[in-house]
Amino acid sequence: MKPITSPNNTQLSGASFRDPSGFLFISEGVLYRQVNRAYQENYEMLVSSGLYQSLVDAGLLIPHDEVAIAPADPQVAYKIIKPEQVTFISYPYEWSFSQLKDAALTTLAIQKKTLGFGMTLKDSSAYNIQFHHGRVLMIDSLSFEQYQEGQPWTPYRQFCQHFLAPLSLMAHRDIRLNQLLKIYIDGIPLDLASKLLPWRTRFSLPLFLNIHTHAKSQKRYASQSIETSRQMSKLSLLGLIDNLESGIRGLRWSPSGTDWGDYYEQDHNYTQAGFTEKQRIVASLLDTIQPKTAWDLGANTGLFSRLASSRGISTIAFDIDPGAVDRNYQECRATGESNLLPLLIDLTSPSPSIGWNNRERSSMLERAPADVIIALALVHHLAISNNVPLDRLASFFQQLGIWLVIEFIPKSDSQVRRLLVSRADIFPNYTRENFEESFSAFFKIHRKESIPDSERCLYLMERL
Amino acid sequence: MISIFAYLVSAVIPLRSYVSYLDPGSGSFILQILIATLVGGLFIVKMYWTRISGFIRKLFSRGDNDKEE
Repeated sequence: MKPITSPNNTQLSGASFRDPSGFLFISEGVLYRQVNRAYQENYEMLVSSGLYQSLVDAGLLIPHDEVAIAPADPQVAYKIIKPEQVTFISYPYEWSFSQLKDAALTTLAIQKKTLGFGMTLKDSSAYNIQFHHGRVLMIDSLSFEQYQEGQPWTPYRQFCQHFLAPLSLMAHRDIRLNQLLKIYIDGIPLDLASKLLPWRTRFSLPLFLNIHTHAKSQKRYASQSIETSRQMSKLSLLGLIDNLESGIRGLRWSPSGTDWGDYYEQDHNYTQAGFTEKQRIVASLLDTIQPKTAWDLGANTGLFSRLASSRGISTIAFDIDPGAVDRNYQECRATGESNLLPLLIDLTSPSPSIGWNNRERSSMLERAPADVIIALALVHHLAISNNVPLDRLASFFQQLGIWLVIEFIPKSDSQVRRLLVSRADIFPNYTRENFEESFSAFFKIHRKESIPDSERCLYLMERL
Repeated sequence: MISIFAYLVSAVIPLRSYVSYLDPGSGSFILQILIATLVGGLFIVKMYWTRISGFIRKLFSRGDNDKEE
């Protein structure tokens, strides 16, 4: 969320403008949320009913402090709150299947708990959910309003578009269809989801009702005004939430038996001694520079990312493979890892700035720099498979991080030869000497270590 | 069929108005009430079934415990 500077010199979040209840702003580098007077009654109820504390205690809502600083818009201000800072904001199109599924179930768990306190969620955007210290939680503290008996669930359509549609497409059609969320900022249109889903999904009651019939109903009533005073009982609302939850829980995806299935076996050509030594060298380089944040690019299932996260370094493990990211996430969840966040990214086209004014969702580069970038067995994929010249690669890495732990694999290595099997070798400059020369224009090379029993080299560099 | 059901549902419930910054969408709003009415009934059955099956399970496990004692 790229900030916009306001007339009184505070920076307004580019993502926080739709809801009149309040907005995010940055003052002296710290993120605050202004609560507007329009939301006063609901905010007071959130706190006095015990819902806020209950959600925070359950790890479902980001904690905040009320602070006495100047409001960004004093005319409408009621309070300023300072939410606990989330280290890295990620987006649904960067999440694996299990991550999006957990985000959906978390939203429904919050709604059920909220109803128990006489309130309800007034929005159900996937962008309100974040992964923070190994937990899945809501970051928008102003998403709650008083529940009136008989009130339908306003964000029902949003929930179906943000969660049920992408998850059902990923489970029943193709795992890559979550990328539609990059195009449709308010979730996948249900008529499109209905068209793309296999016919057999009509035999699932939650999908038949909430996607297929829902899409038809939207078309049928598209241009008609409705009487928004229609009501439904609380029991019916709980039934609806239960039906959505059953639908989400029933969706499954496993990388085995797919194109991604066989990718995870040890697919490298190190000897055991070489592999152990590579791990030792990377660990030693991390111990030398003592970073607070690390981005492991091309992390696969996160073996090397864990060298960083196990040292207390807040680590993001990026990979292009949805199967690898999902396995990594499930491993994080199973072991309760709090410093590692696996995310899906295609480095040949990293997440762009999207949404209103191109400022609602930040690009990958806008969320940089990390203290250290780890790029192991990656350069050949970008330089040869994607034809990126080495100096452009160095420039890209320089924008991403302050330190760089990078591996160079020469053409003689079988992994690189494999990339050249079906194409002409138009890469005369892909040599170790050129690699070092190109990167020296952007980085100072501090250390260079050879990996035993191979022709591969590891470097520690610092950006100039 | 949807419209007939929607009419019946809306006709028997007193009117009340809500204010929201999100547009619920006409079709989504109407369908939600229909689905909720349908699955609300199933939810009641499910809730009672869970309670009854829990009660029966408890009854039998108590019987087993008695035997062990």
